[in-house]
Amino acid sequence: MKNYIMNLSGSKKLAMVGLILGLVAVLLGNPYDNTFAKVNVKELSVEAIRDSEIINVKELAEWIIEGRVDYRLVDLRDEEAYKNYFIPTAVNIPTSKLLESNLMRNQKILLYCEDNIKAAQGWFILKANNYKGVYILNGGVESWKDEILFPSISANASPEEKIEFDKMVEVSKFFGGSPQVGETEGSKEIKMPKIEMPAAIPMNTSGGKPKREGC
Amino acid sequence: MNAPFYKFDLFGFDVSLIIAFVIGIGFGFALERGGFGSARILAAQFYFTNMRVLKVMFTAIVTAMIGVFYLSYIGYLDLSLIYISDTYIIPQVVGGFILGMGFIIGGYCPGTSFVAFSTGKKDAIVFILGVTFGVFIFAELYPFIEDFYYSTNMGRVTLPDFFGLSYGMVVFLVILMALGAFAAAEWGERVMAKKGESK
Repeated sequence: MKNYIMNLSGSKKLAMVGLILGLVAVLLGNPYDNTFAKVNVKELSVEAIRDSEIINVKELAEWIIEGRVDYRLVDLRDEEAYKNYFIPTAVNIPTSKLLESNLMRNQKILLYCEDNIKAAQGWFILKANNYKGVYILNGGVESWKDEILFPSISANASPEEKIEFDKMVEVSKFFGGSPQVGETEGSKEIKMPKIEMPAAIPMNTSGGKPKREGC
Repeated sequence: MNAPFYKFDLFGFDVSLIIAFVIGIGFGFALERGGFGSARILAAQFYFTNMRVLKVMFTAIVTAMIGVFYLSYIGYLDLSLIYISDTYIIPQVVGGFILGMGFIIGGYCPGTSFVAFSTGKKDAIVFILGVTFGVFIFAELYPFIEDFYYSTNMGRVTLPDFFGLSYGMVVFLVILMALGAFAAAEWGERVMAKKGESK
């Protein structure tokens, strides 16, 4: 057997190697299998401590108003909640379907849910699967409501607070919200704006302009 | 470290052009060393007297395929980010026929004509002028054939998707196909050589 192999020509040896690699490939099956993942725990814990992957709602509001398209906003809630209201430009991908979605590993992905916990779970799933730029919207939809749609100010606010609030009123109106002045909490029912897009915003489904590629 | 490097922003567009240039030079060198700078060898493929083109192409395909498969398996390469152009089946078949006809008549394909020209072949410069002229004609006609150009779009199709097989199985089958083709090519060349002698 050994002699037989030694006596083969160079190209035949290469052909044998190719055949063996092919046979092994059959056993390995699919490189896309993402059921099991290997996690760099150290890297993840460092990122978790640094808070660098947390975006707050005001930043997001600015991005949407500016019409930025270099990120994808993902709503992790179920379909029903999404239909009821979603942050403009978001796409709905429930956590269980994250890995089957068409999100790309080189995209900037901003996750949100009702609160931070659910979003953090999605963040971990994506991070464990080697997605590079995954971010969490701090406070999720609740923060979006409190700070962007229905910002409130107490009647005895300082002048600085008032200037800040005036800015927020503009932002709030842009997204169809209604700013609250004084002690209105709980006194009347807050109505969610309809999920019609503000006309100025392009719907961001493509995940930004793809890099030039192909030949 | 993760590949594709460009998609993960390891370098920008400018640097990518330099890298493409270096790879291009290497590619041209490999083609020339493989004998693709000679119109005689290239055209002989179509008369089955010299199967070198088939052997070189299949070797390249199998080598790249094995590399991509194993690199992605160990997690170095994200297969889903590798660019695959959409399949427009009818326009691509028609385009293939036109390219094949030009290949047989001229003795080169676009890439190999530049390889041949760099070694000083005069027929290659004529071929390149022809390619340039063809590109010009195509661009001028484009508005009229645009609908056809984008017809029968099948999207992004890969063999594993199309046949419903696992990637590993496709890798194995393509390797088998290549080895079979190599054996058949060697045999065919011997038969053709004998025919040549008896004439």
